[in-house]
Amino acid sequence: MKPFDFVKPDNTEAAVAALAAHSPNVRILAGGTDYVVELKHVSQSPGTIVDVSSLAEMKGIEETDDGLRIGAGVTHTEIMNDPLIAKHVPAMIHAAHTIGAVQTRNLGTLGGNLITCVPSMDSGPTLVALEAEVTILGAKGTRRIPLTELFVGPRKTSLEADELLLEVIIPKKNLGKPTDFLKFGLRKGQALALVNAASSLWIDGGKFKDVRISLGAVAPVVIRCPEAEAMLEGQAVSEELINQAAAKAVTECKPIDDFRASKEYRNDLIEVLTRRTLQACVTQASQA
Amino acid sequence: MDDNVKVQDREATLEELREADDNLRLPAVPEHVSYPIETATPEARTQTPAVGQRAARPDGRLHGLGQTKYIDDLSFPGMLHAKIKRAGISKARIKSIDLSEAEKMPGVMATLVGGEIPVNSFGPSFQDQPLICEDMVYHAGDAVAAVAATTEQLALDALEKIKVEYEPLEPVYDPIEAMKEDAPQVHEGSSNIYSSKVIKKGDVDEAFKTAYRIYENTFSTQMVEHVPMEPHASIAEWDGNGRITLHSSLGRITLGRADIARVLELPINRIRIIATVVGGNFGGKNEITTEPILALLSKKTGRPVKGVYTREDEFMSSTTRHPFIMDYKTGVDKDGKIVARKVRLVCDGGAYCSWTETTLGKASILSAGPYNIDNLEVEAYAVYTNKTMTGAMRGFGAPQVCFAYESHMDDIAHDLGIDPLEIRRRNAFHEGSSSPTGQMLHSVVVQDSLDMAAERFGWEDRKYEA
Amino acid sequence: MDVTVTVNGETKTASVPPETTLLKMLREELNLTGAKLGCDVGDCGACTVIVDGIAINACLMLAGQAEGKTIQTIEGMASLDSYHPLQRNFEELGALQCGFCGPGMILSAKQLLDDNPDPSKEEIQDALSGNLCRCTGYTKIVEAVADAAREMRGDKQAA
Repeated sequence: MKPFDFVKPDNTEAAVAALAAHSPNVRILAGGTDYVVELKHVSQSPGTIVDVSSLAEMKGIEETDDGLRIGAGVTHTEIMNDPLIAKHVPAMIHAAHTIGAVQTRNLGTLGGNLITCVPSMDSGPTLVALEAEVTILGAKGTRRIPLTELFVGPRKTSLEADELLLEVIIPKKNLGKPTDFLKFGLRKGQALALVNAASSLWIDGGKFKDVRISLGAVAPVVIRCPEAEAMLEGQAVSEELINQAAAKAVTECKPIDDFRASKEYRNDLIEVLTRRTLQACVTQASQA
Repeated sequence: MDDNVKVQDREATLEELREADDNLRLPAVPEHVSYPIETATPEARTQTPAVGQRAARPDGRLHGLGQTKYIDDLSFPGMLHAKIKRAGISKARIKSIDLSEAEKMPGVMATLVGGEIPVNSFGPSFQDQPLICEDMVYHAGDAVAAVAATTEQLALDALEKIKVEYEPLEPVYDPIEAMKEDAPQVHEGSSNIYSSKVIKKGDVDEAFKTAYRIYENTFSTQMVEHVPMEPHASIAEWDGNGRITLHSSLGRITLGRADIARVLELPINRIRIIATVVGGNFGGKNEITTEPILALLSKKTGRPVKGVYTREDEFMSSTTRHPFIMDYKTGVDKDGKIVARKVRLVCDGGAYCSWTETTLGKASILSAGPYNIDNLEVEAYAVYTNKTMTGAMRGFGAPQVCFAYESHMDDIAHDLGIDPLEIRRRNAFHEGSSSPTGQMLHSVVVQDSLDMAAERFGWEDRKYEA
Repeated sequence: MDVTVTVNGETKTASVPPETTLLKMLREELNLTGAKLGCDVGDCGACTVIVDGIAINACLMLAGQAEGKTIQTIEGMASLDSYHPLQRNFEELGALQCGFCGPGMILSAKQLLDDNPDPSKEEIQDALSGNLCRCTGYTKIVEAVADAAREMRGDKQAA
């Protein structure tokens, strides 16, 4: 790695101040499972690294008036083992489990996964399907935006140079909502998603309500499928309709051909994973 | 001297002297050992016979303790770290190499280019592989320069400062393309087909005329990298007698010494190789890689030099398994007995020969399969391409042809409606069978093995869809 | 910068540039070469060590991030009196061949058994999914972990 300066602030305010002070040659480091690998391959020094991995303010999972708050510094293993997650959003447990392997889950953070912002991020679809919001701290104070507004493009977020992702909030209305996540990779562990998908919905009087379908690795960022969602919204629950919606979702995606899979294979996966996650939600809803 | 002093007094005085001496002497500080030390030697007269005894690996204990020392775990005083600059281009003429910026960097102790190597070529069959490329680059993983510096990071930084000017030339990647007359020559002045084998037995053309059915198919396999957990590593050091000692992950020491002797123009008895426990070989560590480079860097600097491959080097610049393209034509009678087989093997031989000759020979002989074939023709070619060199890997040509002839057999069985096991029983070697090269085989247990395996696997009970 | 850590029960300080990984610090400054460099990008697990009770890839953690933490490496598994059951069972079953993946495997297994004393075969495989082995095919490794777990629960006589 190229030489850099290393700063370990005591709290998030100090972290933001460090970001502002050393801008633009400054980067945040949490778990490092993606960023340290990048550091080993770049030919320019990042300047200053601000280590937030030990900040207590970025840890913790708790219920608040807004909903469920998950600190950006919470690791994937912590998510897998948390009783509140198990109670309110169990789909996140499976999603976290599909990430990397034990060692990377022990180091990697939810915030890191979101900020690295690769199209195939495994924590994205579930949170998008649950209409999650994020709190961002900057020199000018905090702001709250929908998670989807954080994603701009591959490895590109809407964060300003002096901003830090603090926490993810799942709105109260979506806690306990039937949700399912599925990932397809070439291996059971340590595999990138060829396609990943999450669906969430309520069933009200035998009809679909508040359907949300989210897909990853099929576009520059994690996306929703509004047309497929609209097909189901307010309609009577049926397998036939789910199949149609799954087929519709394929048309809303733009997967690429690469050495891992062809476009055609990805389209096939989109249809299958969308259908299965929707079916799983229906099963969950009927068991509730 | 007072002769009247009693011996008694003297002895007492001596004791006191010894005590005083002991009190003054500092106790030796024992090395901190954090694990129990036990010797695991079996009792005398229980050491043989070995058959029937439970054998424990002698290195198992050290592995579990983390005490096994691989090359990268060794460190010597004043040791430098070497890194190699890779071409990154498949086929090119090197127009110039400028090391001046790299050499100026603090911590960079020496550089090396191909021209400084006394005999810049090696190889188990043909000596067609340069240690460091001088005027031509043959594949993207080729070495074009080397640097020794006080830390690994400095060596890597220095590599970035080395400026190489290339004149790109036309590469060829596909071995079938490379076989054509008008294909770009990988090595100038020699055909891309650098080795061939022919096996002829009986008369295939006549025999095909008598066949009930003839099947033809092409099978191909991919390039595979050994990925040993331990990357290639070596440490070179000279002594005052002009003898080089190399600690290396090299698997074949005598061959290595011979190659290094030739490359460095040293008598072989001046070369000492210490091969410690290797972290996985599988054939990939069977020949020298950077040992002569490290030796020369060590000579220039007067210090030990360690060179360890990065994982990228392992994929790009270390030998791989040969991709094969195999054309099979088999004639059978109506019972599925093979009457004639014709095989053409095209072996993707990469940028350098390495162990290809041996691999090709073995693959040719085994390409017929363990089956009685009276009329056989095998033509095998090894072809240069501008890709990572292909060499020894577990199986040495056998896995590729096995995939081909067994898939082929299944296809034939399927078409004829014969059980896949039965068709093999009808064709498999038995006692006294003749091998593809005419050797009479003894102690043949193919049929028995098939029968035993069928029983153990429950072959008869399986659900089979024709 | 100075980094102080507690390794295998001992407090140690090393002076390293900030761009040093924990792996490099352990191997080169503290002479603990048990953790290996296999890929340097957190894929192979040969560098696995336990930090504050959690198995991580030492090649992904910067030395500065390890400041003040408690680290256990393979060198800290055995005591002067005996080997850890994992080490003993790996040896008895011949679970390792070249041994390079061994330290990382054993430490990942240790974290598993510390958290889950009675893992199923699938749980063992999942816990070891971040440790690659090219020699063995994993079968004996999984068996050795299961044997060690039994021994640690007191279900098996120690050898």
